[in-house]
Amino acid sequence: MPNVPLIEIKNLHANAGDTPILRGLDLEIRAGEVHAIMGPNGSGKSTLSNVLVGRPGYAVTDGEIRFRGQNLLEMDAETRAREGIFLAFQYPVEIPGVANNYFLRTAVNAIRSHRGQERLDAIDFLTLLREKMKLVEMPEEMMARAINEGFSGGEKKRNEILQMLLLDPAFCILDETDSGLDIDALRTVANGVNQMRSADRAMLVITHYQRLLDYIVPDRVHVLSKGRIVRSGGKELALELEEKGYGWIEGEAGQAS
Amino acid sequence: MSGAVDSLMRLRQRFAGEGPEWLQIQREAAAQAFLDAGLPTRRLEAWKSTNLAPLAALDFARIAPTGAATLGASLAASLPAGIRVRSLAEVLRSEPDRIAGRLGRLADPKLSALVALQTACLEDGVVIELDANARIEEPIRIRFNSSPDVYDRPSASFPRLLVLAGAHSEATIVLDFGSEKPAPGFTCHVAELLLEKGARVELVQIQAEPAPRIHFSSVHAEVEGGARFDSSISSLSDGLLRSELDVRLIAPGAETGMNGFFLGRGTGHVDHFTTVEHAAPHCTSAQEYRGVLGDRSKGVFRGRVIVRPDAQKTDARQSNPNLLLSDSASVDTRPQLEIYADDVRASHGSTIGQLDADALFFLRARGIAESEARLLLTHAFASAIVEALRDPGLRADLIRRIDEALARLESARTVGGAA
Repeated sequence: MPNVPLIEIKNLHANAGDTPILRGLDLEIRAGEVHAIMGPNGSGKSTLSNVLVGRPGYAVTDGEIRFRGQNLLEMDAETRAREGIFLAFQYPVEIPGVANNYFLRTAVNAIRSHRGQERLDAIDFLTLLREKMKLVEMPEEMMARAINEGFSGGEKKRNEILQMLLLDPAFCILDETDSGLDIDALRTVANGVNQMRSADRAMLVITHYQRLLDYIVPDRVHVLSKGRIVRSGGKELALELEEKGYGWIEGEAGQAS
Repeated sequence: MSGAVDSLMRLRQRFAGEGPEWLQIQREAAAQAFLDAGLPTRRLEAWKSTNLAPLAALDFARIAPTGAATLGASLAASLPAGIRVRSLAEVLRSEPDRIAGRLGRLADPKLSALVALQTACLEDGVVIELDANARIEEPIRIRFNSSPDVYDRPSASFPRLLVLAGAHSEATIVLDFGSEKPAPGFTCHVAELLLEKGARVELVQIQAEPAPRIHFSSVHAEVEGGARFDSSISSLSDGLLRSELDVRLIAPGAETGMNGFFLGRGTGHVDHFTTVEHAAPHCTSAQEYRGVLGDRSKGVFRGRVIVRPDAQKTDARQSNPNLLLSDSASVDTRPQLEIYADDVRASHGSTIGQLDADALFFLRARGIAESEARLLLTHAFASAIVEALRDPGLRADLIRRIDEALARLESARTVGGAA
């Protein structure tokens, strides 16, 4: 079904806690495309990513989300992940006592089982893990450590991208993946992401700054303001935003309404 | 008078006149102390949170043997020179003088009614002797199995352990309390460990007798200068359990590590009461007890740290973090510091919390089912306690058993949630 969008968001209204944040958001992304959502703080970027992955504490009050034609909102978080939705978290959590490699194998096998693939044994998994770790330049000793425990900001983000490479999702959401990264780490992370670009996969890059989009070049750029997409364009829109600031869009949107 | 007291006092007559005279005198004095005190009730400060009424109501049909028959094949294996593991009855028969003045030295019937009861009913048990400088790598495993009789009548067992660790000796001892089938009744266990200079003894207790068995354990250790006593207790029962640990550091440089993991499930009640006494300067104690309470279970942790006036330069740490996995579970945690010296480092802390919601969501967002994610997190919380064990095989074995208990807890939760 090449004409069905991979992800289709219609008139999405959602609350974070009791506060209405998204107010009628529409977005369609097709397989093979990379979209970027930019917007000032408080515009609803993080709420959108949390709603997409089914995080508790976020309630959809109106509208719908379809993923490969299926009603995404009926799925729990783990089912969404197994169906191929992946969020690279803005603030990856530290989990003391759970070893990274054990966690990763558990996650990979949960997803493989869901897809009807054979589970990987320890040896096969290690082979896969080593191959993917090279792409994000992570040293092997980090795998025996607890998830993100004592990792620097850059190491946490690399670990997120490593998970993305291993889980092989159809739809990747990168939530402010550039925040807290120096230029080398940014390049490494972007390199990992670019490896994942393919005709049957879509990506949504959520960012406050244009900088990341120099490395992950989007097909479409959307500007989010007050819970709605107020402007869409090509990659040049990001540059224009960087130059003129968000006040430009918000002023325009304010006049239009 | 209750059924338990009457029936036990009657049953003990079978062997009350056996053994050396000093033991008979000890038994009779203990029986009198027990009758004077009666079974502990919640009116006693030390028993405020634990109700022994289910024990008082039992009418015991027999006292089960706890000696040589329970030692199992592992002890028959050849032991290094200088290390002897024998049944208490055998030592009492052949060489009673070796333990005279030592058996019953730390476990004082006047201070605890249940220690008095145990001593009054003392018939058999295990004696471990480590000569000076003797060492054994392989853990010495002792398994106490309670088993029901054909009529399912309540039985009592009074296992006793005496460890005499000579200077610079070293051993790991495992006490594994379990049963193939639930056995109604009462296991009342007392252990005494005497560690001479520089000895290193690790005592690992696995308390896994299922309900309706009631389990009481009272372990006493005395640690000489430069010696180290490590205690690791895993309470995995779903019944009524009270576990006491009493460590005295009596000469400079004595050390103790006291670790515990307790898991509550069903209507289980698990009560840990620790006392560490710093009676000399330059001693170290580190306690960490971690609780995971689910279903309608209740956990109790009471930790006393006593620092005597001349115990300067004491380093005493205690912590008791707890995870509550259900709204109906509860935990009662009370650290108690009694410090009479002024140059001391002492810290204590207890927390009661739930599983980290962000961590749980993170794992689910990677495709891991919620119940499995919960298990990963409870496993991580629990296994930190077991990591400290010296023997890797024992560590792996215990982690497996803890995981099984956690999985039973989790599956009960899932079933309960669906109902």
